[in-house]
Amino acid sequence: MIAFEPTEDQRLMQQAVAEFAKATLLPRTRELEHARGVPEDIRRTAHEMGLGLVTAPEAAGGQGQGLVTSVLIEEELGAADAAAAFGLAGPGAFGRAVIELDGPERAAELLAGFADEGGWDRFGAVAWSEPAPCRTHEGFATRAERIDEGYRITGKKAFVGNAALADRFVVFAQVEPDRGWGGIGAFVVRRDNPGLRAGERHKTLGLDAASFGEVVLEGAVVREADRLHGDGSEEGFTRAALRFFVKHALVVAARAVGLARFAFDLAREHCDTRVAFGKPIGHFQAVAFTLADRAMDVETSRWLVWKAAAAWDAGLHEREALLASARAAAHAFEATMRTADDCVQLFGGSGFIRDLVAEKLMRDAKQLMLAAPTAEQLDQLASAIELGQKLDPALVLPTPDTQAIFT
Amino acid sequence: MIEFALSKKQQELKEALHSLGRHVIRPMSLDMDRNKEVPESFLRNFMMMSRGVRSDDIAEFHEGTPRKERDPSKPSESNRTAVIAAEELAWADAAIPLSMPGPGLGAPPVRATGTPEQKKRFLGMFRDMDTGPLKWGAYGLTEPGAGSDVAGIRTSCRKDGSHWVLNGRKCYITNGGRAVWTVIFATVDPSLGRAGHRAFVVEKGTPGFEVGKIEDKMGLRANETAELVLEDCRVPEENLLGGEEAYRTKEGFMTAMKTFDNTRPLVAAMAVGIGRAAYEYARDFVKQNYVLTRPIPRYAAIADKLAKIGRRLEAARLLVHRATYLADMNIPNAKEASMSKAAAGQAATLACIDAIEICGAHGTLSSEHALLEKWFRDIKVYDIFEGTGNIQRVVISKRIVSNLKSF
Ligand SMILES: Cc1cc2nc3c(=O)[nH]c(=O)nc-3n(C[C@H](O)[C@H](O)[C@H](O)COP(=O)(O)OP(=O)(O)OC[C@H]3O[C@@H](n4cnc5c(N)ncnc54)[C@H](O)[C@@H]3O)c2cc1C
Ligand SMILES: Cc1cc2nc3c(=O)[nH]c(=O)nc-3n(C[C@H](O)[C@H](O)[C@H](O)COP(=O)(O)OP(=O)(O)OC[C@H]3O[C@@H](n4cnc5c(N)ncnc54)[C@H](O)[C@@H]3O)c2cc1C
Repeated sequence: MIAFEPTEDQRLMQQAVAEFAKATLLPRTRELEHARGVPEDIRRTAHEMGLGLVTAPEAAGGQGQGLVTSVLIEEELGAADAAAAFGLAGPGAFGRAVIELDGPERAAELLAGFADEGGWDRFGAVAWSEPAPCRTHEGFATRAERIDEGYRITGKKAFVGNAALADRFVVFAQVEPDRGWGGIGAFVVRRDNPGLRAGERHKTLGLDAASFGEVVLEGAVVREADRLHGDGSEEGFTRAALRFFVKHALVVAARAVGLARFAFDLAREHCDTRVAFGKPIGHFQAVAFTLADRAMDVETSRWLVWKAAAAWDAGLHEREALLASARAAAHAFEATMRTADDCVQLFGGSGFIRDLVAEKLMRDAKQLMLAAPTAEQLDQLASAIELGQKLDPALVLPTPDTQAIFT
Repeated sequence: MIEFALSKKQQELKEALHSLGRHVIRPMSLDMDRNKEVPESFLRNFMMMSRGVRSDDIAEFHEGTPRKERDPSKPSESNRTAVIAAEELAWADAAIPLSMPGPGLGAPPVRATGTPEQKKRFLGMFRDMDTGPLKWGAYGLTEPGAGSDVAGIRTSCRKDGSHWVLNGRKCYITNGGRAVWTVIFATVDPSLGRAGHRAFVVEKGTPGFEVGKIEDKMGLRANETAELVLEDCRVPEENLLGGEEAYRTKEGFMTAMKTFDNTRPLVAAMAVGIGRAAYEYARDFVKQNYVLTRPIPRYAAIADKLAKIGRRLEAARLLVHRATYLADMNIPNAKEASMSKAAAGQAATLACIDAIEICGAHGTLSSEHALLEKWFRDIKVYDIFEGTGNIQRVVISKRIVSNLKSF
């Protein structure tokens, strides 16, 4: 039966995170931005609350919760500081990747240590993006050559979240270049691998409290056991990879919903109090209707994200859950950008000044909607699902080659 | 719990209506449009059949009275079930849910403001349709000079002995010509604004109450829209909704307006149904013509358009579900009801426009894609009646901007 009511457990959790976000992240958001990271004390608190391991299997010290719980929490973080949501310790995208690509049992082993006392300083990362599109073949430019000991990985990854902080990575690379997207693989590479080093940290538009950077692989040797095979079949791996990218987008979208809510509340408050031409600006129809439209943006984004998360938790048919997630994330990204933009706009000149947080929200929003498969890519995926086409990771992977599918 | 799955009963109802829509309604849709009529034989059969599905909610939907008495303070699922049914029927042909025998839009004000005797008398008369003639009720608020600006109605009412004398003109009244009674809104004194309004149940055949012209419309042609003329029409005082007592305070009229909170999501659901019909049509057209036989390079843009229609409709649908969920939980939902209507009217109109565009010039040829062309004509009014898109935004604005009485 259709219902919009979190369970009691979810509500308590949501409340606890909201309190933490409001009391700890919100007042220090500029401090985090200038420090370009999340300070130790905040990471410790979040770790004690178990924030990084909500969806991790219990065998790995996680709470084994579903995606619905996860998106509820991510929204609360995003409503205070979306950048912090990326910059808190924990397995993050790495956790989601190994669970999808290798199943929850194996994941427990790969997630070891995150729940420990020292987990507040432990990060995971996933490297799929590359600084330039591969021109020689479909797929990744980064190569994983088969050798006797396993694989040797060579190439350069870019835009990787926590690149310089992570102690373990999932790296996507091309195993068989002549087989295009069918020839890709995913590998666990550890920070102590002599063939891996973090490259330069990117200077970014927003989300400054989280770090993004290059990962350079110079003949990193990994064992066969470090390859994440999915269910072993090519189709199974492709589906697992799609699940990972799409669920990752959904989690980012939940943060976006939080950010949109923040921007909306800020704008609404301002429209109530700022007086022009003798009345609060909210009493002008053009302003009020803008707020009404953004209120709809916030709500629709949230319900779409909830519905997609519930689709995964309820074990709906995979194509259905992929479709719901693609729609939700694409909508939430665009809606959040509109909301943050209008927030600055409704503040007028003061919106542009860094004394207020509005401008930061707008920068963060733009950065956020590029942090996972983009709205454009997700729309292509949604249509491919609806049109019954063969699904291919190229639909959501950041490369202009995705266009090849539709030409 | 956060859940989006339908209950078993709702799922069965949806499937039954879908099958009826596909196999019975769709094949007669174009004839109904051409003949400007929904055949009575169909309506009669449909009513019998919906007894077969045994949904009390559906019965309530066209009889206006709950089949079994419900405790209004207890949560129910009737609003949620009604919108699921409305979407499905409108998917088949939107004229069907609007032409359904029963008190229709007249029911909510009678239910909300009528005295117990009035409810029994005016709603009870729809109970014998199994054997007797089909009957309709109607809702007459709009006038040539006042639509959105409800406070501006000029139809006058004046007490004369045990009667009220009504004078004025109502226009665009759904099922107005065939209605056995119409709830007519009139004013004792235009300068009093809403405080001067009175609502009457005016019965067909009352001297001085005539049906004017039956409108020739862009779409929804199978559903009757009529002008009603009141010339020294003497209405017995028992037909003043709620009795004089009800108008001592402003509340009386507000209750009558509150009925929109229930009907707006219903109308929004119908809009989503039409939009979905157009979306599915375009999707199948693309599947058949573009991918297999006519791969054209513009295809990525078309996939993009398709995905955007799909997610806009889904967003609107979730606002409908949200608004009805609140109604079922007895939580005030005026804002959410308006959101659903604003979003659905817009999303579905765009869906119908884009669906035609996707099918190319063919989309406008009434021989090739007659249904698509029909939906394009049908949908527009969903952003107009039950409050235009702008009026929904006025309602929303008043609930998000502080101290906003009017613009
Ligand atoms: C904050 C942040 C965090 C990130 N975290 C990580 C990370 O942890 N690991 C990692 O590997 N990467 C990460 N990324 C990279 C991110 O996944 C990519 O930036 C994103 O997927 C877009 O890819 P791209 O930048 O290569 O753009 P491109 O793929 O080159 O796309 C450029 C533009 O073309 C559009 N486009 C692309 N394909 C299509 C299509 N088929 N149809 C229509 N339009 C299309 C895109 O929407 C975009 O607007 C992160 C990025 C950011 C900003
Ligand atoms: C097929 C059909 C069936 C109908 N059925 C019924 C029925 O059963 N009963 C009934 O009573 N009525 C019915 N109506 C009437 C319908 O509810 C009105 O047409 C509608 O409310 C709009 O009023 P209007 O046509 O007078 O437009 P107007 O009120 O003149 O509006 C014109 C334009 O101005 C905009 N506008 C008006 N006021 C504002 C404002 N304050 N701020 C911003 N923009 C504004 C509107 O959004 C609209 O775009 C029906 C209409 C149609 C077409």
